[in-house]
Amino acid sequence: MLFADTVVSEPLVHKPKTLGIMLLVGLVVFSFFGLSDTIFGEFLRPVIGEPSESGLFGNVAVGLVVSMLFVGNVFLIGFLAFRIQVIVVWVELLLLFLAFFYSFELNYEFIQSKIWFMISQGVMTTLFISAVSIVLASILAIIGAVAKLSSNGFAFAIASFYTSFFRGLPLLMQVYLIYLGMPQLGYVIDAVPAGVLALTLCYGAYMTEIFRAGIQSISKGQWEASRSMGFGFGLTMRKIILPQAMPLIIPPTGNQFIAMLKDSSLVSVIGVWELMFLARTLGNKDFRHMEMLITAALIYWVMSMCLELIQSRIERHYRTKSH
Amino acid sequence: MKLIRRMFTIGAAAALVMSAGVSFAEETLNRVMSNGVLKVATDAAWAPQSFLNDDNEMDGFDVDVAREIAKRLGVEVEFVTPSWDIITAGNWNGRWDLSVGSMTPTIGRAEVLSFPAVYYFTPASVAVHADSPYESISDLNGLAVGATTASTFELYLQKDLEIDAEGVPAFEYQITAGENKSYRDSTAAMDDLRLGDGVRLNGMVGSLPAILNAIENNYPLRILGDPVFYEPLALAIDKGDQEFNDKLASIIADMQDEGVMSALSQKWYGIDYTAAR
Repeated sequence: MLFADTVVSEPLVHKPKTLGIMLLVGLVVFSFFGLSDTIFGEFLRPVIGEPSESGLFGNVAVGLVVSMLFVGNVFLIGFLAFRIQVIVVWVELLLLFLAFFYSFELNYEFIQSKIWFMISQGVMTTLFISAVSIVLASILAIIGAVAKLSSNGFAFAIASFYTSFFRGLPLLMQVYLIYLGMPQLGYVIDAVPAGVLALTLCYGAYMTEIFRAGIQSISKGQWEASRSMGFGFGLTMRKIILPQAMPLIIPPTGNQFIAMLKDSSLVSVIGVWELMFLARTLGNKDFRHMEMLITAALIYWVMSMCLELIQSRIERHYRTKSH
Repeated sequence: MKLIRRMFTIGAAAALVMSAGVSFAEETLNRVMSNGVLKVATDAAWAPQSFLNDDNEMDGFDVDVAREIAKRLGVEVEFVTPSWDIITAGNWNGRWDLSVGSMTPTIGRAEVLSFPAVYYFTPASVAVHADSPYESISDLNGLAVGATTASTFELYLQKDLEIDAEGVPAFEYQITAGENKSYRDSTAAMDDLRLGDGVRLNGMVGSLPAILNAIENNYPLRILGDPVFYEPLALAIDKGDQEFNDKLASIIADMQDEGVMSALSQKWYGIDYTAAR
């Protein structure tokens, strides 16, 4: 919560004026969309007659009902405790989502027959590529950050050229450039190493900036104090600066990892059989791409949620340590 | 000091791994025979030519042809699936040895690739939505027509199709599309077309087998008019190995003489596409 208020007042969603405005806005919006030809129109058939012939009256009547359902829902949820509110709204949104997918008339048997392969081949490859890339990118980022903070013009120039170049190109283009360009230099790189290299270089550039910002946020006094104790650069970095910078570096790095998990899908263009590639190809013969795309989308989502959980654990770990 | 030494060790190990992967510019046929593996590049999403079957393995007409070629060479076959534009770009650098991907030998492609043999011909047809009013191909003039990026179908729409093969029937450009839309593959074009006439597309040019396959899977499409051209489809290899080229040409000639190619065509298309009409 932004601000813990100690003044007790009625919740906003229980004031008649707010409810009235919400109802009105809902009425206008839902009427505008003309929902009379949807399932809601079917429910209101006794009132509005044949939904397709009900015209403006039908649209407004359906709009009013939908709007009332929405406002009533908000009103009722307003009585619950915060945690329960969150859970209820999550479940409602999830159900709406599932209803949306359900309306596609998907073939679940087909999904069932392919999901194991998508996980054993696709998820494993995606995770492997992302994990290797994030480790290499972190190493690159530390070197890059130190170089960017260096007083050596040579090191600074290389590091700033690197971050500028690799942050300035689309990742997809980097994948192509590395895969097609490296052989021109005499080294024929395979698809998986090419993908890992592209992801490493691109995310290393972003993470260089994150690491640099984290290191720079530690006050000058810390450097001076450790200097006065006779610590050299390496010792100061390892024992004084990085432990304090880590809590600042971890959250955006976690974000980068989640983003990388999804960007690893770009590697599919060079023929790596990761999740996105399988999502595009498995349903091809039977024309079931919608099934495969939705399945892959949910798998990506679940993986991201797991990573978010891990990230919040790590954040909590560092918070308790530093405060 | 210890740290520095460790870093040197890691660096040396990395350099060793890198250099081990360097393949020297050797002749393709020698490489295939000495490795005992024929690496074939093909698409994984182009049924019925090549696709992932129910067991999640490569299958289809092109895949069967590739297997037969490998068998006749006496080596194992291995499939790689880079995107189509990477295959047609040439300069494979030994990443794979052969493309069995129903590639049309155009003059542009012949500048970067060699085409040892044409192994079958497919009719290219125009498809429209089943409920659309068009009666002839020229009715699509000025409308939105789609095709796969960098395919012969798109070249046909751009009136820039030059086929570099013998025995190809002459054809003429029958459509002047108002808008050429490019798609990643023909399935994507058909997915847009199925939404309705004119929603995103009015028509598309694609290979007849692929369109028929979609119609069989309840896509609301129909074929408009006669095929606009017959495209010869060839094996492709990287430039520079005449011996490999001749070997493949003789294998395909044998397969055609023995009726193996016709049988495969019947198996996958239900029609014998091995000769142009």
